[in-house]
Amino acid sequence: MLVLVLGDLHIPHRSSALPSKFKKLLVPGRIQHILCTGNLCTKDSFDYLKTLASDVHVVRGDFDENSNWPEQKVISVGSFTIGLYHALAMINRQLNCDILITGQTHKFEAYEQENRFYVNPGSITGSYSPVGEDKDHVPSFILMDIQSNTVVTYVYQLIEDEVKVERIEFKKNGNANAEVN
Amino acid sequence: MSDAYKQRVQEFDDLLNSTCVDREKLKKFAFEGIPEGAGRRSLSWRILLNYLPEERSTWNGVLTQQRKLYQQFLDEMILVSHSEKIVEDHPLNPNPESHWQSFFKDNEVLLQIDKDVRRLCPDISFFSQGSTHPNVSVVKGRAERLHQRVQQTRLNAQTIERKGLGMSKLSLSKKLAPESYAPLEDGEAHWEIVERILFLYAKLNPGQSYVQGMNEIIGPIYYVFASDSNVEWREYAEADCFFCFTNLMSDIRDFFIKTLDEAETGINGLMIRFMNQVKIQDPKVHQRLTDQDIKPQFFAFRWLTLMLSQEFDLPDVLRIWDSLLCDETRRDFLLAVCTAMNYPFTDVQIILSKAASLMA
Repeated sequence: MLVLVLGDLHIPHRSSALPSKFKKLLVPGRIQHILCTGNLCTKDSFDYLKTLASDVHVVRGDFDENSNWPEQKVISVGSFTIGLYHALAMINRQLNCDILITGQTHKFEAYEQENRFYVNPGSITGSYSPVGEDKDHVPSFILMDIQSNTVVTYVYQLIEDEVKVERIEFKKNGNANAEVN
Repeated sequence: MSDAYKQRVQEFDDLLNSTCVDREKLKKFAFEGIPEGAGRRSLSWRILLNYLPEERSTWNGVLTQQRKLYQQFLDEMILVSHSEKIVEDHPLNPNPESHWQSFFKDNEVLLQIDKDVRRLCPDISFFSQGSTHPNVSVVKGRAERLHQRVQQTRLNAQTIERKGLGMSKLSLSKKLAPESYAPLEDGEAHWEIVERILFLYAKLNPGQSYVQGMNEIIGPIYYVFASDSNVEWREYAEADCFFCFTNLMSDIRDFFIKTLDEAETGINGLMIRFMNQVKIQDPKVHQRLTDQDIKPQFFAFRWLTLMLSQEFDLPDVLRIWDSLLCDETRRDFLLAVCTAMNYPFTDVQIILSKAASLMA
C-alpha cells in the first residue's frame, strides 16, 4: 500500500506553489492514502491533495486556516500503528506507535530508535522556517510502501533542481537500512 | 428414483470409469444433462473442455504437469512481491520501463476485475464464502492479497483531543456496516480465488486482457469445480478452472475482442445469424421485433456473449451448459437455445428439447 507523507506547504504565504518537478511526479491513481503534517495552509492545498488520493489525513499546524483538524492522529495501516503530529514537542510518550511522523522543522529526517521509526517528511515546498539553524530548506516529501511487516520509505528531495530519490527500509523488530543512489 | 434414471446414471458412471472415456459418447450422454452428484459434472466438463484427454492412464501425468505450471505462473506473475525489485526504481518513476509503471497499469485491469468478481452470482452465498483450499502463501501473509492493491478504503484513524491541560482522549473511530463480499480475516473467499485466476489470464493474454463478462463465463466453471464432492478434485479447482476457462475462451474469444465485432465470427455476425434463425422458425416473433424496432443488441447480445449464464438460476445454467459444452462450435446450439427462448420462459428442459429439435 502506498502512503504519501508530506507537509509544511505554507502556500500562499511563504511559497507560491509546489515545485513543478514534484507536481509532475505526483499523478492521481497511484497513491491510496495521504498523511499530511499540517501547515497547508489553505483549503486550496487540501483540495489539491484530494485530487491525488481520496483518503487524506491532516493534523493541524500553527498556520492552518481550518481549526477543525485534530492536533494528533493515530492511524493503523496493516500491522503498523502510525502517530501523526505537527510538532515533535507535542508527542505524548505513552502512545504506542511503530512509526512517528512529524513536521514543523522543514528538514527531512528519518531514523530508528528503540524499534520505532521516526520520520519527518520536511517541507514539500522547501519554505522558510524560523525554527533551527538552517534557513535554506531542500524541498522534500516521502512515499511509504507499507507491507505486512516492512515499510519501504522513498525519500524525494529536490537538490539543485534535480529530483533525488533515496530508499530506506524499516522492519518491525528489525533495523533500518539506508541505501542512497 | 425411476429405473430408467438409475440405468442412465449407471451407464454414465460406467463411461466415466472406463479406461478410455470416449469423448463422442460422453457428448451424447452429457447433452441430455449430466446426472447430479458424485463429481460427475466436474469430471465431464474437464473432458468436454479438452483439459483431460480420453486415455485415463494419462490423466495423472497431465494433471501433475498442468497444476505445476499453474503454480509456476502464480509464483512468477502474481505472488512476487513488488518491493523486492530493483533498488534504483521508485513508485513515481516516470520512465516507461519502470516496473512500477507496469504495476500501476496492471492495477487498472485489476480494479475492473475486483468490481466484477464481487458481484458474481449474488443470489447464492457461495462466492462470498471461504474456500476449503485457499492459496497458502496468501493466507499466511507472505503474499499480498490482490484486492488490497486496488482497494479504495479509508485508513482507520483516531484523533486525540486535549481538553486544556487535562487528560488527552483517544476518540473511537466509527464502525462501518460489513459488506457482503468483504474479504475474510483468515482464509480466502471464493471470489478472491476467481479474481486471481482472471488477473493471471489478463496478464498472460495482454492482447485481450480482461473484458467485463468474462467473470460470468468463469463463474459456472469455478462453481462446479470448487463444489466437487471429491476432495482430490476440489483441492485443485483453481488450477483446473484456469485451464478449462482458457480453453473455453479460446473458442469464444472473438466475442470479447472489439476489433472482431464486425467479423463473421464476431458478435455482430452471430446476432445476424440469430435474427435470421428467428425469422425462419418464428416469423411472428420476428415481425413483432422488427415492428417495435427491438434490436438483438438489446437482449441477444448478453445471451450470446455470456452463454446464457445471466438468464437463469445457477442450477439451470449448469444444465444448459452441459449441452452447450457438447457443441464444439460453441455457437450452433447456443443459437438454437436462444431461438427457442423466444417462447415465454418456461421450464429449462422444455427450452432445451425445443432447441434440440431446431438442430435436427
